[in-house]
Amino acid sequence: MAKFDLTFKLGQYLDRHLVFPLLEFLSAKQIYNENELLQAKLDILSKTNMIDYAIDIRKQLMPGEEDPDDLKNRRAQVVNQLQELSKEVSLIVSLMNDEKIMKKIETMRDSKALLTFLHDEYDFNIEMMESMYNLAKYRYECGNYSNATGFLYFYINVMPSNDKNYLNVLWGKLASEILVQNWDAALDDLNKLREFIDTNQFPSSLHVLQQRTWLIHWSLFVFFNHAKGRDLIIEMFLYRPHYLNAIQTMCPHILRYLATAVIINRTRRTALKDLVKVIQQESYTYRDPITEFIEHLYVNFDFDGARQKLHECQTVLFNDFFLIACLDEFVENARLMIFETFCRIHQCISIGMLAEKLNMTPEEAECWIVHLIRNARLDAKIDSKLGHVVMGTQPVSPYQQLVEKIDSLSVRSEALQSLIERKLKARAQDVGGIQW
Amino acid sequence: MSRFFATGSDSDSDSSSEEEQIIRQPTAAFTFSDEEEDTKRVVRSAKEKRYEEITNLIKQIRNYKKIKDMSSLLSSYEDLMRAYTKALPVITKEENGITPRFYLRCLVEVEDFVTEVWEDRDGRKNMSKNNSKSLTSLRQKMRKYIKDFEEEMTKFRASPDQPDEDEEEEKDESDDSSDDEDSHPVVTKKPSVEPVSEPKKVAAEGGDDGDDDSETDWGSDSDTSSESSDDENQYTSVRERFLKKAVDKDDEDKEKPPGPKKAPKRVPKKKPKEEDSDDDGGKWETVKGGVAIPSEKPKMFAKDAEINVDLVVKKLIEIVAARGKKRTDRREQIELLHELLLASEHHNLGHAVAIKIKYSIVSSIFDYNPKVSDAMKPEYWAKLLEQIIDMMDRMIAAKNVIMNESILEDNEQYETAPYKLRGCVLTIVERLDEEFIKLLKECDPHSNEYVQRLKDEKRVVDIIDKVQTYLEKQEDIDADLCRIYMRKIEHLYYKFDPTVLQQKQGKLEPGTQTSVQVMDRLCKFVYDKDQTDRLRTRAILSHVYHHALHDNWFQARDLILMSHLQEAIQHSDPPTQILYNRTMAHLGLCAFRHANIKDAHNCLVDLMMTGKMKELLAQGLLPTRQNDRTKEQEKVEKQRQMPFHMHINLELLECVYMVSAMLIEIPYMAEHEFDARRRMISKTFYQQLRSSERQSLLGPPESMREHVVAASKAMRNGNWKACNKFIINEKMNAKVWDLFYQADEVRSMLTKLIREEALRTYLFTYSHVYDSISMATLAETFELEPSVVHSIISKMIINEELMASLDDPTHTVVMHRSEPSRLQSLALQLTDKVNSLVDYNERVFETKQGFFNRGGNQGNFRDRQNYDRRGQDWGRQRREREQRAY
Repeated sequence: MAKFDLTFKLGQYLDRHLVFPLLEFLSAKQIYNENELLQAKLDILSKTNMIDYAIDIRKQLMPGEEDPDDLKNRRAQVVNQLQELSKEVSLIVSLMNDEKIMKKIETMRDSKALLTFLHDEYDFNIEMMESMYNLAKYRYECGNYSNATGFLYFYINVMPSNDKNYLNVLWGKLASEILVQNWDAALDDLNKLREFIDTNQFPSSLHVLQQRTWLIHWSLFVFFNHAKGRDLIIEMFLYRPHYLNAIQTMCPHILRYLATAVIINRTRRTALKDLVKVIQQESYTYRDPITEFIEHLYVNFDFDGARQKLHECQTVLFNDFFLIACLDEFVENARLMIFETFCRIHQCISIGMLAEKLNMTPEEAECWIVHLIRNARLDAKIDSKLGHVVMGTQPVSPYQQLVEKIDSLSVRSEALQSLIERKLKARAQDVGGIQW
Repeated sequence: MSRFFATGSDSDSDSSSEEEQIIRQPTAAFTFSDEEEDTKRVVRSAKEKRYEEITNLIKQIRNYKKIKDMSSLLSSYEDLMRAYTKALPVITKEENGITPRFYLRCLVEVEDFVTEVWEDRDGRKNMSKNNSKSLTSLRQKMRKYIKDFEEEMTKFRASPDQPDEDEEEEKDESDDSSDDEDSHPVVTKKPSVEPVSEPKKVAAEGGDDGDDDSETDWGSDSDTSSESSDDENQYTSVRERFLKKAVDKDDEDKEKPPGPKKAPKRVPKKKPKEEDSDDDGGKWETVKGGVAIPSEKPKMFAKDAEINVDLVVKKLIEIVAARGKKRTDRREQIELLHELLLASEHHNLGHAVAIKIKYSIVSSIFDYNPKVSDAMKPEYWAKLLEQIIDMMDRMIAAKNVIMNESILEDNEQYETAPYKLRGCVLTIVERLDEEFIKLLKECDPHSNEYVQRLKDEKRVVDIIDKVQTYLEKQEDIDADLCRIYMRKIEHLYYKFDPTVLQQKQGKLEPGTQTSVQVMDRLCKFVYDKDQTDRLRTRAILSHVYHHALHDNWFQARDLILMSHLQEAIQHSDPPTQILYNRTMAHLGLCAFRHANIKDAHNCLVDLMMTGKMKELLAQGLLPTRQNDRTKEQEKVEKQRQMPFHMHINLELLECVYMVSAMLIEIPYMAEHEFDARRRMISKTFYQQLRSSERQSLLGPPESMREHVVAASKAMRNGNWKACNKFIINEKMNAKVWDLFYQADEVRSMLTKLIREEALRTYLFTYSHVYDSISMATLAETFELEPSVVHSIISKMIINEELMASLDDPTHTVVMHRSEPSRLQSLALQLTDKVNSLVDYNERVFETKQGFFNRGGNQGNFRDRQNYDRRGQDWGRQRREREQRAY
């Protein structure tokens, strides 16, 4: 199953700490050799300050071996430094622990006003923020994410957005929120970060592209865990040209997540068309069972191929960290899509064949169709004698066509008229005195 | 005039050439000679003036000797004697009365010549009356005149090639003479005043004039004087050496414009000037090169001067300083430089000096051609290649030579290790490349000559490679590297490398580098480092071209889309636009090979629509109807033309376009047969179809176009077999399809597409006569896989092109009858029109207002949008340019 595993590709664009969940997931799935995974973890940890964790893994990897001294030494060092850093910002920490002050801070929207307030009331010094930033970073490196979020939140509130560390702080905040699984806050941070990237100037366009690519990857955590994520992922990946571009050029593998999101989102069927276009365009750089499923179904109308791919999709989804949660939903919706397309084309379908195409037994399929008909989502009748489903399609009569065509005309004309009137009025008011 | 007629009746009048016309005007020379002198009198010192006069006359005499024009020879000889008499006072004053050596030489030569001709009795008999008469009188005059110089002449004959001694004098002379356009520097150098062993008094002074006059009356004798026959023996002994000299000098004379005394007014048709000017120089150059060097070598430097770097450099600067001046002899310059190089090498002055001299040689060869628009001479071209290769080899071998434009003349460093030279190899290569293209364009592309020239491309590319290796070793010159890479790219991008396809099929061992990889590397460098944008644009286009050529459709497409060149290309310079057109043409071909018919059509439509494909691709000028092009315009356009080996086959392009248009347009026409709003997709194709329909009688198709039109008609009836036969047959194979590298694949792809599109057309056209059609039958008729038929029909149903649905148990297509009545269809048309009216209104409002959110039903216009010109189709896929890294 390693063939469709994207961890390696995703890992390139993720923070060290964000890779851990992925690796944990992989070891649970047992696709790769356990020892290799442990080694990979150790490698990642070597650059962080999570010494305890590293020692644990070492023990797992090489049971019976003594902990090397340098790790122990480093641990002591880290603890020392942490204390030092904490000392420097003790004032702010005390501020933050004071609920009254925090509330007051929250009521003040403007960072400038806040700064002066802090400065006047509590001997606050702007240089402190720098050391606080360092502390937050250090805490994060040590794996103390929730603590880091607190500091960073304070930082964001206090500092103006043109601060040199602002972008880094935003990224750090997002990562910490993701790691403590605080999805609401993470979504907020994600939006802030996106706004920041889209509005601010970067030294080169390459730089922006890189930032966006990171954002796309990090956002996967949020989108597939937050309740509203499924709409937002489509919104951001498919309908924001900048991000679509980034996906197309830097990371076409993201199309898997986008495709899945579109498939499981029943209300966004319109997005399908756009998705198909993108998938077709990128088919030479990236393909996996999920994109191929869509291709088979909507480009070639090859239902057998689609069925096969659907089968493959299940295993892929089952082994994907982000997608495993929506496996059932995916299968259900994919079936529905096959069926819908089928119905649009056919006027009479034998249940046996349909069952085969949907990976079901005939009985299941019949039951399923009955459900669909009962829920008024399908205009069809079952001919149980022949085992057929007969569609209730009706050819569009010319009258209907005509009505369809002129349906919106009056509304549009009216809208146009009112617009013009409004404009005229506005102009008359503007220049009335002079012109008339 | 009477003379004219007299000679006209002569026997040799048949072969009257320009030269012979000179023969017929012997006497007139006198009258003009004086005038000529008058005009010249102004600037020069007495000695110079006299000497020059004599030199000119000597040259003329040599000329006449060569063509055996006795009468002119006689008159010139008389002139010479008179000029000498005039010069005598000066000579006595300046040279202590010693007869100038060059004068003596001339006398000796003329004497020898006369004796020789006289001896040749047969030849004499064949002479015209005029000539023989002149010969006789000349001989007599000679004998009388020569007596005065007898002793000196004998001495001269004994040692005719005595080298000159006085370097200073010599240089002065050459400088002076270069002022005079007509006189050749080499010539003037030779007759440098050289005292012959012992000083001697010139005998005949005042009496000369009188002698001349009286000599004319002398009767013609048959006896030969004893002295001249005596001389004969002596003469033959030295003859070898002499001859060599003579030839040498004659050559030079040839190249000179005709003597000032003869040329003007009198015989305007005589010798056309241009015959003698630079053009001739080229012809004679090589002869001279061989002979002149040894004789000239000594005068480069003073004999005893120690030749060191400073001296050589000084000399070099001196030579180069003359460059570009009006009167500088460019050939001479090259020679001098060559010599300097020899000298410097002889004295081991190091690489730096040699390279610097080479550099000057190269630039003076470039200078040789006076007009930039004309191509070089092939000989010079060959020489140029040699020189540049040599120079580059030296530079690469030397390693520590830095040649750069930013080094000032004063900072040049010739002697110690990091040698620094001022100059720019890059410009040399660029110029070389341009010259090469010019040369190619000069040749007839179908001649052998062109092939020969083209063989030089390898050497040009070698040079570029060498410069590249040289430049890569230098530091911090990204801009220069970009330029040299670009040159390389320009030589690479249009060449097809079969190994690329082999590599794609995995036949090549991994690790082999194909041209695609090379292009990739070069282009990416340019994308990254280029500052000028123009180079980047050209690199992108070449890159796309190269990808398209090698069937890398996706890469090519992505690259062109990401570059956003389509919007901005009309603002760029014409050569870039031409490159763009060429790229689009190949992109179209590539799309076609990949069965992306729509893309192929879109790529080619802009080229084809105007009907000026030839011009757009710079593969030839269109004949204009009413000379609306001025001369300059034409010249400019000609300069832009592509050399023949880079041409794209126009017929192939047109055919691909027409077939693509057919595959798109025919089903579309069938679908919208009764549609009021039907639009043309391809105007060109449409016109072809219409014009063939208008013809009352149609023969079997001959040309490619007729084939495509016939195929289109067959397809309209759903007759795919006939269609296929019209498209793919022997004639079309030979004309078009075999031009593809993988022709068979293209053909099979075409057949498949024809089947599919014919099926669609068939369904559109005949669906109304069916109630249901079995898919199996359809698959059989169109020889397609049932699954393919199913897929095609499904697509049509989904897209609401076909009002039908499938009946799965019976595998049939059931049509839904919804034929509107007349009234209904009219009503539908009316609604369409009203709809478009509202659309139009909204758009007007939008443009006035700037915004207006359009909630209208866009679905109705789907098919229109699909086919809206490529601006949309391609525009939708466009991406940001931010991907510079690509």
